[in-house]
Amino acid sequence: MKRVLLIEPDKPLSDIYRSVLVSDGYTVDACAHAQDAVHAADDNRPDIVVLELQLAAHNGIEFIYEFKSYTEWQDIPIVVHSIIPPAAFGMNPRMQRLCGIKHYLYKPATSLKRLRRIILETDLAALGTT
Amino acid sequence: MVISVDSGSQERLLRALAEQIKLPLIQIARQAELSQLTCSDKALKSIEYTADMAIRLIDSYLLSIHLQTQASLELEPVSVGAILQDTAHRLDRLAKEYNCTLEVHLTGRYEPVMANRQSLEAAYTMLGYAFIESAPPVALKHQVILGAHRSQKGVVAGIFGTQPGLSADAFRRGKAIFGSSRQGLPAVSSASGAGIFLAESLLKSMETPLRQSRHRKCGGLAATLLTSKQLQLI
Repeated sequence: MKRVLLIEPDKPLSDIYRSVLVSDGYTVDACAHAQDAVHAADDNRPDIVVLELQLAAHNGIEFIYEFKSYTEWQDIPIVVHSIIPPAAFGMNPRMQRLCGIKHYLYKPATSLKRLRRIILETDLAALGTT
Repeated sequence: MVISVDSGSQERLLRALAEQIKLPLIQIARQAELSQLTCSDKALKSIEYTADMAIRLIDSYLLSIHLQTQASLELEPVSVGAILQDTAHRLDRLAKEYNCTLEVHLTGRYEPVMANRQSLEAAYTMLGYAFIESAPPVALKHQVILGAHRSQKGVVAGIFGTQPGLSADAFRRGKAIFGSSRQGLPAVSSASGAGIFLAESLLKSMETPLRQSRHRKCGGLAATLLTSKQLQLI
């Protein structure tokens, strides 16, 4: 069973995303803080990371730098699912590639249906590369 | 008499509110979508409550603007204990949504304080909202206390929690950047912190500034409310 590391600071939203991903057959480790997410990944290696960039204490980009600094996690795809619009963040395809971000989804405009589809696509793409 | 409204501060408050209001709206949209997928009524209750909190946010903002245009604010003797109990009751469902333990802690009985009831209720509700939605790291229990204790100047009443990082310095920095930054208190919360700055604006209109404080080993934000001298004499 594939494992998703969900980093979502808002508990009600985290519960919703978790419930749909579980119904799609994923095992979900949900964390609200970046440091907790690193510990969770240490305990159980995720297959996909779904990340909100706007976090308390450490932001999502700090998390990506730390996460990608470990060689064993460098090939794990990251899907950013954030309340920050990509343009406001200054995100462009090159920066996205450098950070290892497979998709950047703007949370207010992303339905559950689209989120599930993107995760499935990311999952299948990762299968193709292994 | 011409009342001056600090338009810069109101604009920053409005921006922080606009950022903050996105969160309940996303919750409502996704809860509605989930209820269609699961054909469950459970999400409908959450939608109702989330919408109520979003309306409270907007109402508090409108009240803070209204108060800033008032030449003088009508103060009345108010029971701090009753205000905190009512606030806890109002926030109970939200606390459950966030898996947060909500507790009212009053050390003894207090004389009534002089305050504007509506502003005080709105301020503590907004503060409570901000604390409940900011979950601490997983190692710490998510607990929020609506507490009051006596001080030499009056009754210190506020909202306290287990979130680390809420120092006087972080609050001072937050006051300088809120509205211009997406996160007013990045050390504490992932959100804009609009609830905290709305509470500050509401309390400021009663000349009771919000300050960083501690209560039962928890850090938080509190205001010192002056007791009613008139009622003390009686």
